Amino acid sequence: MFKNEEMEINLGPQHPSTHGVLRVKLRLDGETVTHCRPMIGYLHRGVEKICENQSFFQGQVWTDRMDYCSAVANNLGWAEANEKLLGITVPRRAQYIRTLLNEFNRIASHLIWLGTHAMDIGALTVFLYAFREREDVLDINEAFCGSRLTTTAFRIGGLREDLPPGFEKMVRKFLAKFSDCLEEYEALLTENRIWKKRTIGVARLSAEDAIALGVTGPMLRAAGVAYDIRKAFPYAAYEEMDFEVPTRTEADTYARYQVRMAEMRQSARIIQQCMDGMPEGPVMAKLPKILRSEVNEVYHATESPKGEIGYYLVGEKGSLNPYRFHVRAPGFINLQSLPKMAEGGLIADVVAAIGSLDIVLGEIDR
Amino acid sequence: MNKFLRTLLPADIAKGLSVTGKHFRQVFFTANRRKVPFHIVSEYPEVPAKVQPRFRGRLTMLKDEQGVIKCVCCLACEKICPTQVITIEKGKQEGRKMPYPVRYDFEMERCIFCEFCVESCGFDAIILNHQFELAAYNREDFSLGTEGLGQNMFEPSHVGKFSVADD
Repeated sequence: MFKNEEMEINLGPQHPSTHGVLRVKLRLDGETVTHCRPMIGYLHRGVEKICENQSFFQGQVWTDRMDYCSAVANNLGWAEANEKLLGITVPRRAQYIRTLLNEFNRIASHLIWLGTHAMDIGALTVFLYAFREREDVLDINEAFCGSRLTTTAFRIGGLREDLPPGFEKMVRKFLAKFSDCLEEYEALLTENRIWKKRTIGVARLSAEDAIALGVTGPMLRAAGVAYDIRKAFPYAAYEEMDFEVPTRTEADTYARYQVRMAEMRQSARIIQQCMDGMPEGPVMAKLPKILRSEVNEVYHATESPKGEIGYYLVGEKGSLNPYRFHVRAPGFINLQSLPKMAEGGLIADVVAAIGSLDIVLGEIDR
Repeated sequence: MNKFLRTLLPADIAKGLSVTGKHFRQVFFTANRRKVPFHIVSEYPEVPAKVQPRFRGRLTMLKDEQGVIKCVCCLACEKICPTQVITIEKGKQEGRKMPYPVRYDFEMERCIFCEFCVESCGFDAIILNHQFELAAYNREDFSLGTEGLGQNMFEPSHVGKFSVADD
């Protein structure tokens, strides 16, 4: 009477849990996923090609628009890659301010992840609380560079302007309340039995698989590999900062949640240290009037909230724009692990798997 | 058995509910009272939204004390603009040594508000103002220039719904 056959369905491209326009082709046997393939490219804008046709200075605005949830981290990677290519040293105060804003961005990105991931799984309340704190971070962004989301925060060689008046007060106010806020989120989720049932043991990705697939960021650290570029290859002012790299060994969705929560605490610690040890001095290096590349090619990786974001720039000596520009986007590479996590699980767990990846499609499609 | 007892006593859910209850209590007893520090919702269209001093809004041209356009057509902003939204046409004016912008076209629909143009300007002739309500009904409303009524580069835009005074 009933035929036993597999059904093929599309999750997305307009599914609310896919955080953009991701289409996942699923083949189902009952409720079990037997085959899962993410389809990307709906948000492709050709950022890499646009940057090749513009000067080194202009390229930064496109990096904001790749991963719009962590625009400052993208700006930092772009600026540092270009400084390597152009042979510029950045003043120490600028490095500190960059580190400070980058950590704020990590908090904002993790908060948006926490809110939307919890909402996908069914806990709506956290979304409202997480976005309340994110609003404060965006206000700090706005006070520093004039824009909330697409920040264009840094310049090649340093910063455009020093910190605005009243900035320190805003930061201290945020830090004073942030640990209480984190406890609030954890009170809502960590012990909650529904949350635990929906996340513990779901979408496992072992350390071997994660390394084989090139997965980085909190996904990798939740599998027990303490790889963080801020520690492994320090950039900006991270060498002088005292912080830990949180890891878990369970490698499931719950472990990723715990890693990201712990990372937010560490970020707050780094911000505190930046604020206390802020050196005086200029914020902009002396630049030539026209930026010309000094070396032929450069790869610079930084730790974005999602993982390793690497900028590969090829520029012939003396050229005005990059000959080739490539982004190693953490979301793009982390997304490869979705079939590994989803196949064999239930269809409801695909949503949890996508949520725990913390992807932004603007960055994946570029 | 122990697990069964824990199901009867939902301490974890009570913990979460206490957070919600705390916030509910705070808001419930102070609802509709302004100047409550933890109210994060503002009555936006009625109460104008505040922006930070460095906010990047719409591009605006400046005039000096005599009412003369400060722009001298060095084309720095046109060159640096990542989306090429600025078009300048050089011209001469009687009694002015410097070139004068006969045309200064600004296509706002493609502007990404990065403030590179302001940064590149060596004459402080342009700024980004604090206006963010920039929606309009017609595409022509986004083409700004040095001439025209209201919708020019010198005055705040009148197209935003809430920037017009209610009358």
